[in-house]
Amino acid sequence: MKIYQNSNEPIYKQIASQLRDQILSGKLKGGDALPSIRALAADLKISVITTMKAYEELASEGLVTSSQGKGYFVNAQDMRLLAEQHLRRVEENLTEAIRSAKIAGMSLDEVQETLSALWALDAG
Amino acid sequence: MENAVEIKELTKKYKDFMLDVSAVIPKGFASALIGANGAGKTTLIDTLCGVTAKTGGEAVYFGNMTDTDDDVLRNRIGYCSATNFFPFDWKLKTIAECMAIGYDSFDRARFTELCGRWSLGSPDDKKQKNIMKMSDGNRMRAALAAVLARDTDLLVLDEPASSLDPLARDQLCEMFREYLAAKDGERTILFSTHNIADMEFATDYAIFMAHGKVVEQGFVEDLKDKYILVHGEAQDGKKARPLMLSYTVNNTSFEGIALADNSANLQAVGAVTERPTLQQLSVGILRKAEEDAGK
Repeated sequence: MKIYQNSNEPIYKQIASQLRDQILSGKLKGGDALPSIRALAADLKISVITTMKAYEELASEGLVTSSQGKGYFVNAQDMRLLAEQHLRRVEENLTEAIRSAKIAGMSLDEVQETLSALWALDAG
Repeated sequence: MENAVEIKELTKKYKDFMLDVSAVIPKGFASALIGANGAGKTTLIDTLCGVTAKTGGEAVYFGNMTDTDDDVLRNRIGYCSATNFFPFDWKLKTIAECMAIGYDSFDRARFTELCGRWSLGSPDDKKQKNIMKMSDGNRMRAALAAVLARDTDLLVLDEPASSLDPLARDQLCEMFREYLAAKDGERTILFSTHNIADMEFATDYAIFMAHGKVVEQGFVEDLKDKYILVHGEAQDGKKARPLMLSYTVNNTSFEGIALADNSANLQAVGAVTERPTLQQLSVGILRKAEEDAGK
């Protein structure tokens, strides 16, 4: 896991986002245990509460569940839910792109062209 | 969440100083007592550990224990004062022998290992320095090694970082995390500091003290959501000031903290808002406490 300690993005968000990627991509599977909060804090050289906040964020999204006294476990991912999660991230990132496009004064057509070109580039 | 210690209106009266504290120390975390010199951090720690007698109120440890003279409780708490912990003519060997007599769970092998890790020498060496001849930092390391060589549930450390060099402070943070991780969720640390920057990544819960009282407390991540760091150009300061809790200004810029609820309003008057670091939060909260005290 990579943590930027001097980034604008809070450390707990960085941790949550990396674990989320691992869960959504299937690297972490349903039933897998997350590292213990205090062990991960020690490994990443950050405070316990920061790690805990990251786990709580994932729990609030329904990606993991806390089991009293045993730690956090990855939930079996419902395929529909998973697709929804992916869609939400696509929407988030596109919204961000639209914002930038408007600042740059690009038209919808231009943005769509750029998207098609990038899509082709990635597929190739 | 469970608390390792619940402090209920604990008071200690001196001629010219009054400590009056209600606070919790959450179980399983590292809590920092943050405050200026003279805020009452050491008085609180000494009262909690039974070094000084309280005037009133009570502290409840581990859910049901209140008597710091009780042998069971004494064995569960590892206390380390800021200065003069051991008599100066003691050596590492004397520390090891006395700790073994004084506490049930003192592990001499672990003490030797920690002394080695911090390059203090070994309590088994033929020739040993008197503690008096050690540097301040090494004296603190020796005291920390002694307290960490016991199997405790709560560490109470008064200014453990202040005499340490940057590398040793980093080791101290690491040691905190190891201690907490070793019995996942069962162990608790309380330490005081007047310089939180070095301990930021080892602090879970913060208790801010000023003039003998607690002025704010909470989990660090919650406090970082509750407050924002605000700064901007000096000319916008006048409009921002009424929305801020602490405020300083110079020729070019102003700075301070505010409640996160005011974020949008502050941005509207041209201020920049950020999620604060614990250090920035501490400066803001303690500055506000000083301003309030001056009123």
